[in-house]
Amino acid sequence: MSAERERQVTRAFVSLANSLVDRFDVVDLLDGLTADCARLLDVESAGLLLADQHGTLHMVAASSERTRNLELLQLQRDQGPCLDCYRGGAPVSVADLRTATARWPRFVAAATQAGFVSVHALPMRLRDTVLGALGLFGTQVGTLNEDDLSLGQALAHVASVAIVQDKAATDQMVINEQLKGALSSRVVLEQAKGFLAQRGDLEMDEAFGRLRTYARDHNLRLTDVARAVVAREIPAQRLLDHAATRASRPRRSKPS
Amino acid sequence: MDVGSAARRWGGAIASSERVRSGLGAAVAAESGLAAADGLCRACVRLLGVDGAAVSVVRDGVSTGTFGSSGALSRRLDELQFTFGEGPCLDAVRDGRPALVPDLTLTTETPWPVFAGAVMAVGVRAVFALPVVLAGAPIGALDLFRHTPGPLGGENLAGGLFAARLATLPLLDLAGGDLEGEAAGDSGEGTREFASLERVEVYQATGMIMAQCDVDPAEALVRLRAYAFAHDLTASEAAWRVVQRQVALDDDSAWAFPDDDPGMIS
Repeated sequence: MSAERERQVTRAFVSLANSLVDRFDVVDLLDGLTADCARLLDVESAGLLLADQHGTLHMVAASSERTRNLELLQLQRDQGPCLDCYRGGAPVSVADLRTATARWPRFVAAATQAGFVSVHALPMRLRDTVLGALGLFGTQVGTLNEDDLSLGQALAHVASVAIVQDKAATDQMVINEQLKGALSSRVVLEQAKGFLAQRGDLEMDEAFGRLRTYARDHNLRLTDVARAVVAREIPAQRLLDHAATRASRPRRSKPS
Repeated sequence: MDVGSAARRWGGAIASSERVRSGLGAAVAAESGLAAADGLCRACVRLLGVDGAAVSVVRDGVSTGTFGSSGALSRRLDELQFTFGEGPCLDAVRDGRPALVPDLTLTTETPWPVFAGAVMAVGVRAVFALPVVLAGAPIGALDLFRHTPGPLGGENLAGGLFAARLATLPLLDLAGGDLEGEAAGDSGEGTREFASLERVEVYQATGMIMAQCDVDPAEALVRLRAYAFAHDLTASEAAWRVVQRQVALDDDSAWAFPDDDPGMIS
């Protein structure tokens, strides 16, 4: 591991550990975690899928908020490496998606169209329970090396701990409630993105950036801001104006 | 199904059986609107070990009341909550979580003494209210009544939660008003439609329609679904049109009269 990469990995874990200590927003943290995956691992894009109590997978976080990328994640509620990984509780790695057309015809077609050629799915687990899967998407053919795989798995563990905040939770209903909380946060966030995109004539990923910037600048939780926008407690115009006032320091929501 | 995989997945501990899920799904798919809600309640009685069931809607004063029921007595019991202004259904909607009372006689300080007294007078000993959530917000509840005391039990509770999810479909029919008869289809249609509603682009489109029409999330979802029906699309396909700005639903004519609005599709 190069010294620079080692610094980056350490920084990512320190930042995650700090977030877990504070009153954190689970969707915000998981979005940051998928961004860490995309930056630190040899992949282009990463996303997290969580299962609901019926075993259906839902997208909770992604390193890119482009709607088509999100679509690729949620397509896997029907078929794909993340679904197989969740069901089997073990990693699923496909070095070259062209070899998997028969296994997941619809997923491979959509992934190929989005420019991805390799996929690695790692299980998120809490003790014996599989909560969902972390999907890593690459634009180059090949397997992930050992270091990347174990780092990816370590990040997936952090995600599981972040979602089930009560680490002593043994009661299935408690775990269920906390998973449900993460999923419903995502629903409100998507509604708020749509609301803001409409009012400000923005793309969805830009709308997400506005929400996150506003939340961070006001030291608020992302989910609380999203909820307030949807409930019209914070006028959409205030978020749009806020972005304009800090336009002198342009900042993209996602690290390149 | 192999035991190992059931234990590994977190839903495994309280999973409802495939038989129960398909029975509930078929009840909703066979009808629409009020008939579907009644059918779902009757299926709950048949499949979940309870003696009565009702679905109520609670939305900011408007259209608040009992919607579907398994029979006349369940409907009357459920309606008592709106008469008295208290009861497990109202708690479930307010808190967004199940209100479970396995034995009404053991509840020394019930938050709704009048309602509890009234239902016990007709022999009901246990009440279970499960919130019905639409577009992220609780808009009603599925109330299950039983003559015998005791917990609902993990599998029946899981089945009840599944039924509460399905209950959103007849409620959408209710809110859509003029869509009676459109939802019927082969069995499993109900659950398929539900899967189409639970998608990122549907949530995003819901947010856009909220801003376009200045409506709440439930109303926005109703409009999206109405547009989907009128154009023979799934909710997901309709949502893509909205998200990609091919259509705006700010004008009623855009979705109510698909043949008359060529200008709305850019």
